[in-house]
Order: sequence, then C-alpha cells, then structure tokens
Amino acid sequence: MTPPDSNTATATTATRERIQRPCIHCGEPSDSYSEQPAEEIFCCNGCRGAYELIHGWGLESFYGLRDQLGQGTMTRVKDESTRYDRFDSDEFLGPSTPVPQADGLMCSELALHGLHCAACAWLIENAALRTPGWNAARVKMSDHTLRIVFDPTTTTLSRIARLLDRLGYELAPISPERDSHFQNESRRHLIRIAIAGFCAANAMWIAVALYAGEAYGVAADHRFFMRMIGTGLGIVAVVFPGRTFFTGAIASLKTRVPHMDLPVALGLAVGTLVGTVNAITGEGHLYFDSLAVLVFLLLIGRWIQFHQQHRSAKAVDLLLRITPRHATRVNADETTDTVLVDVLQIGDTVRVAAGENIPVDGSVVSGQSSIDRSLLTGESVAVSVDEGDEVAAGTLNLQRPIDVRVLAMGRDSRIGKVMQSVEDAASEKIPIVQFADSVGGVFVVIVSLLAIGSFVWWLPAGWSLAASHATALLIVACPCALALATPLAIAVSLGRAAKHKVLIRDGTTLQQLARGGQIWFDKTGTLTSGRPSAELVWGSADAITVAAAIEQHCNHPVAEALVRTACGNQTESLPDAALDCVHRQGVVGHVEGLEVFVGSPAFIREQGFGLGGEVQTAIAQCTAGAASPCVIAVGGIVVAVIGISDPIKPNASKTIARLKSRGWRVGILSGDHSEIVQHVAARVGVDANQAFGGLSPEDKLAIVRGQSVDVADRTSIRHETTVMIGDGANDAAALAAADVGIAVRGGVEVSLQAAPVFIASDDLASVDDLVGASRRTQWLIRTALAVSLSYNLIAVALAMLGKISPLIAAILMPISSVSVLTVTLAWPTYPLHPLSTITPPSESNK
Amino acid sequence: MSVLFVALPIALILGGGGMLACILCIRGGQYDDLDTPSVRMLIDDEKPKRPH
Repeated sequence: MTPPDSNTATATTATRERIQRPCIHCGEPSDSYSEQPAEEIFCCNGCRGAYELIHGWGLESFYGLRDQLGQGTMTRVKDESTRYDRFDSDEFLGPSTPVPQADGLMCSELALHGLHCAACAWLIENAALRTPGWNAARVKMSDHTLRIVFDPTTTTLSRIARLLDRLGYELAPISPERDSHFQNESRRHLIRIAIAGFCAANAMWIAVALYAGEAYGVAADHRFFMRMIGTGLGIVAVVFPGRTFFTGAIASLKTRVPHMDLPVALGLAVGTLVGTVNAITGEGHLYFDSLAVLVFLLLIGRWIQFHQQHRSAKAVDLLLRITPRHATRVNADETTDTVLVDVLQIGDTVRVAAGENIPVDGSVVSGQSSIDRSLLTGESVAVSVDEGDEVAAGTLNLQRPIDVRVLAMGRDSRIGKVMQSVEDAASEKIPIVQFADSVGGVFVVIVSLLAIGSFVWWLPAGWSLAASHATALLIVACPCALALATPLAIAVSLGRAAKHKVLIRDGTTLQQLARGGQIWFDKTGTLTSGRPSAELVWGSADAITVAAAIEQHCNHPVAEALVRTACGNQTESLPDAALDCVHRQGVVGHVEGLEVFVGSPAFIREQGFGLGGEVQTAIAQCTAGAASPCVIAVGGIVVAVIGISDPIKPNASKTIARLKSRGWRVGILSGDHSEIVQHVAARVGVDANQAFGGLSPEDKLAIVRGQSVDVADRTSIRHETTVMIGDGANDAAALAAADVGIAVRGGVEVSLQAAPVFIASDDLASVDDLVGASRRTQWLIRTALAVSLSYNLIAVALAMLGKISPLIAAILMPISSVSVLTVTLAWPTYPLHPLSTITPPSESNK
Repeated sequence: MSVLFVALPIALILGGGGMLACILCIRGGQYDDLDTPSVRMLIDDEKPKRPH
C-alpha cells in the first residue's frame, strides 16, 4: 500500500511522526502530525476556508449532523471563485433571472451542485439567515435546486454564488427545458392515490360492520344502507382512480401485448359487476372493500415505479452539465464576450482561462498548457498541449489560458457523443422486469380460462352458484401475493442496503448481481484513490517544501500532491516563492534567492543538469513502482527525486479475492497507460490478461457491451451479468450500458446518476457485501414465490371444486400476502458481519 | 340505531373534507419534493448541541 510507504519515507526525514487522517471538512485522507487535534486537519486551503466560514457562523453542528445522517462527505472545495461575476447578468441566468417580489426583494431559482444530504440543505438554509442581504434559501433535494430570496440593495447574486462556492457548492442557472410535465404527472398520481385511499379506508370499515352484522345479526335497513354506501365508495374508487387501469388494459388489447393492467382491469370489472348486481338484489357478497384496497395498493406501486423511471431519465440531463454552458468568445478585434455555447459557430475562437473546463472540441490556436483529461479518459496524469493540438470539451485546462478554435460542440463533441450513448444505453434496458409483467400475461389468460371453465361447469347447478364459484376463483387467484413477493423482497433488500451506505436505484440490479459473470473495475478513483500522492524516493525532505512553495502557484495534480505532502495542513510554513516559468514538463521558480527546477527527468536534463548514478537508480525505482518520477533541483544541484503515484484503496485486493472466490471474473478497464494498469492489476490480484489500459470511453463501452473483438470470447456468453464499477464521467456510458453499473464515491455526480448503484461509503468491500446480499435476496424471492404460488394453486383447485365461497376467498386472499410479508421481513438479507466492519482500523482512516 | 343514518354520512363528509384538503395540498405543490422535508424535521432550528 502506498500511503504507509510514504509515511515511513517521510518519517525517516521528518522529526515528528506523520499520519494520515481525514480532512475535517471533506474527509480526504490528509497528512498530519500525530499531536495535531483532529479539527485542525485540512487537505487544502479551500477546505480550511469553508471550515472557518462555517465555524464563524456558529454552524459547527453541521459536521455532527452530516456524520449522523451518514450520507457521504463534502466535495473538496476548489480554490477558484473568479467566474461568478456573470451571475449578475440576466442573459447568463436565463430562466433563473431574479424576479422582483412585492416587498422589494428578489427571488431566483438556481441549480445546485455538490448537494449530498440533508445536512447540506441545513447548512445552506442557515447560512442564508446569517448573511446580510440574503433573506431566505430553500433547498429542494429531489431536484437539486435552490430558491434564493435576497435584497438587491445590500447584496448581489454573484456574491451569494461566491459564498456558496467557498462552502463547496456550485450554483448554475436552471436549464430552460425544466420538466413541468413530470411535476404534473406526479401530482396526478398522488391525487389518484389520495382518492383511492379515502375510498379504501371507508369501504374497509363499512365492510367490517357488515361482516360483524353477518355474524351477530343486523337490522335489514341498516344492512341495506351500509351496503349501498360501500358500493358507492367502491364504484368511486374503480371509476375515478381505477380508470387508469382500464385505459392501460384497452391499450394492451389494442397492441395485443399482455400487460399487468389487463388482469387488474378484468378483476375490477368482474368484481364491480358482480358486486353491483349483489348490492341491487341484496344477496351475496360485495367486493368493494377488496376492490378499493386493490386499486389503492396498485396505485402506490405505480407511483414508485414512475419515480424510478424519472430518476433514470434525469441522468442525461445531469450529464449535460459537465461541459460549461458558457464560453468566452474572442472577437476579430481581440475583444472578448461571454456567450452561450449554443451560439458559437464552428471556426470561432474561444479563450479558456486556467482552471476552467473547456467548453468545446477544438484545436489550440495559441498558448501552451496542460490539460486534465481524467473526466473523459481517466488518465491520472495531465497531458501538455501546444498550438495545433486538439482538446476535447469537458476537460480541464490546468496551467495557462489558451485560445481554442471551435471544431465541434454540444451533441457533436466527443463528450456529447458519450452522453448520447448513455442515453441509448439507458433506453436499451427494460425498465423494470417484474414478475407480474413477464408471467402476468400467461397468468391472466390461464385464470380467465379457468374461471370461465368453472362457470360453465357449475352452470347446471344454477346461475347464481356458478357466478359465485367463478368469482371466488377470480378473487382467490388474485396474484397479489405472487406480484407482491418480488417487489417486496427487493424493497426490503434496498432498504437494508441503504443502511449499509449502498444506494440502489433499480431493483433488477439485485437479481442480476445474484447471477455471477464479469466484473470490470475502473482504475483511477475506483481501485485507486484518484488523488496522486507524492513520495520521497531519494534526497532530503526539505526539497519537497521548496518545490511545493513554487508549485502552490500551479494548478496541476502533481503540484497539488507535492503541496499536500510538503505541508499536510500547515500551509503557512511554506517559504515565499516566485513562479517564474511554466514549461510543458516542469516549472522554474525562485525560493529565497535560489533558482529551483521541478519537473520530469527529461525536463531537468533539458535544463542542463547531469543526473548522477544515485538519481538514475531512484528514477528507475519510481518507474518500477509505476510512479511518475519528478526531479527537484535547487541552486544548480539535483537534491531530490519524488515518485508521484495514485495510491491503491484499502480493501481493493481483499474485495477482488472475495469476488473471485464467489465465481466472478474480475478485470480492469482503464483509460490510463497500460503499464500503470498492469502494475495496479498485479498489486490487487487481477490477471494480467484481464487488465486493459489505454481505453477511450468508446472502447470501454464496446467491451462492456461485449462487442469488442478482443474480448468477445470472454463476454459474448449471455445469461451472465456484466458489472461495471467506476466513478468518472468517462465511465458514464459503460456504467449505463453494463447490466449493473456501480458508481463509487468520490466520482463525478454525473456517473452516480448513470449507474443504478451508488456506494456511498467509499469502501470497496461494500461491493462484495452487495453481491452476497443479492444472492440471498434471490433465494428470498424464490421462497416467497413458492409460498404464494403453492397457496394459489391449492386455493384455485378448491374454488373450482366449489369448496370456497367468495366470502372465504376474500378472507384467505390477504393471508397469503401476510405469509409472504413475514418470510420477507424475517429473511437475513445482509450479513451480520460485513467485510467492511472487520477492516483493521489503520486502513479505514478513522 | 337510526343514528347510523346521520353518523355515517357525516363521517364520510368529514373524511371527504380531509381528502379534498389533501388534494389541494398536492395541487399546491406541497408534495413535489418528498426527499427534503422528511429529514428537515429532524433538524433543530436553533443551535443544537455541539458535534462530538
């Protein structure tokens, strides 16, 4: 493991013992001295600033609340807040333009990024109360939007946006095409549920009174009155909220595709008909209590399903937010304006400042810089670009401003095409394969035929008796328990998984994970921490401090790693330094009068330094350990060699070994260089021929889909589940295309939306726990189905023989559901001792 | 027991009133965000105890 290595390396040179502890704000493991109090550990200045801000407001209980709610940690605070001035221009805001209110205040609704749990909402809403001029804030967690009410005479929206940025939240204008359709549809669903619930509850207690009357006697006029009211309520439930099932059934008949609505509508129609006839004649059983409850429960199921589908539809919308929606266009006369990306033309030139995302695909026309492409390709090391090089939208410009000529944008850009494939991949999948949908068609045909059969069989014995037996059969054969078994087991398992910090969006995931097959891991940010760490290989530790003093002015992952290693948490100890010149592979600067060079061995050689034997050995050592060597020269002498590497997460090899022992094939798909991937594969125990490096997002997608020629022999076998575990936007397409996509924490918000599973604990052991839980859930579903099916078979047989009256059928029906419910709740889905809890404390950063 | 003829309709009217109120709330948008309020009520308004 790299972190302990780096500790020992530093400990030999530093006088005090250094240990890795979580940053109090964002939870990233950060270097600290052992005697430092836990609340003084920060990974960077941004987090320190956010912490001090929160502390100054007296809102420290945010941290306690956050840990209590247990849903992950904060986003790391970025050190850039220059781009918020445009929040004062209406053109930029579009639909988020502040609307004046009656009392002179302004109100605006904006999209909010970086929201994790209720503690975030609490923090933002309380921050508003403590900021002069910002009167109110209201966070909507479901939409990730924030409503801001502010006083335009004392503050501006840009100031509020900047403040939120310091806390680690990013504001953006809401997109023009907000779906009011979804909102209306959701409201309609809820209204139907409300009406059905009212009818069901009242029909129920009237039914209780009637049953009591059957047993103990009731006055004829009271009985008639209650039967009439019950019938009325039942008809209301079937006609108003239940109408949706009839429309569905009619559509199903037209398209000749058996659908769950068909048996429901049939049952409702027969029940209503027989019930009405019985109510008028004053004889026989009324089914309206059962009918109203049936409508009510089915509508709730529909509503949950509707919400799940909406969540997956939102995935693409969130992806669109990766690329900036605005760009700085350079006009012919060298002036610049901020314009929407949509109005750009191919051939226009845009200027991208350091630290900004590149908004378009294009070629660099002037300037040199290095680009962090990890979002698109997963490369852990930044690449340098020069005039003429091509850059892609969504990547991050790290060092210096560059001018880019637009070649493609929006949906035509590379990231746009990746998003398109996410959309395709998401729509390819069957939304929710429920038992009722696949077998329901056959089931309804069989039950209808049986009902007609027994009606005809009993007809000689009298019309009324035949109808009674046929109705009893229809009721007792109601696939309630059968239809309940799968969703209930899945719902219970999802709830238990959520308690283990594994959030599952889609229930089918559990069924697929129980099957076994191929698991693909992404490397950067999944198997490794995704944040490079610097490790002293040779030389003096002081050199790191000197190099970090210069590098702190750079915006580069390597620079960040150096700064983190050098100061851990006391940034003030860095000596004053001037950054003179940034080259493609290194930097030159001055510290206390001495000229300092920091860069790759090639860069140092270019600057005219000779690299001695010891240095060469150290460099070779770095390369052998899959770390990128970085050489520091101070005052003309090479003083240190640093290895920059991406540490492997704790539990990675243990999890992979466990998954293998469960019969899964484990592989790595990475955009990073093949040698690094092979090295990581060897460390975590993945076979070399299952570890692929240098893949583009498109390659990953092809492999996951099993279309790639190279790996076709491995993945073309069907009836197996392909699992993709990743975290970046570069994996979004593969995550969505895989049978099961698992997003791990620390990744881009977007991929969490593309994947049906989100592991919030940042612990790879959760993957293994999840697979185990899926298998147990599968057994639970089979048991529950067997229970309800055998129950139905016996009951149908008895009903056909005329042994069950409709009244007894109505009593027996819920018993099968109760037995299924009992089995489900008593089932041990999740292990009592998950792997994650037996992790040695030294590895879990606590 | 003829009170039943009065009590039952009254009960239904009261229940119906509740249902109408619920529908008005849904139409008014109170049920649009079902994620935040469920946790917001757990959060104290004024300075709660310090985190431990």
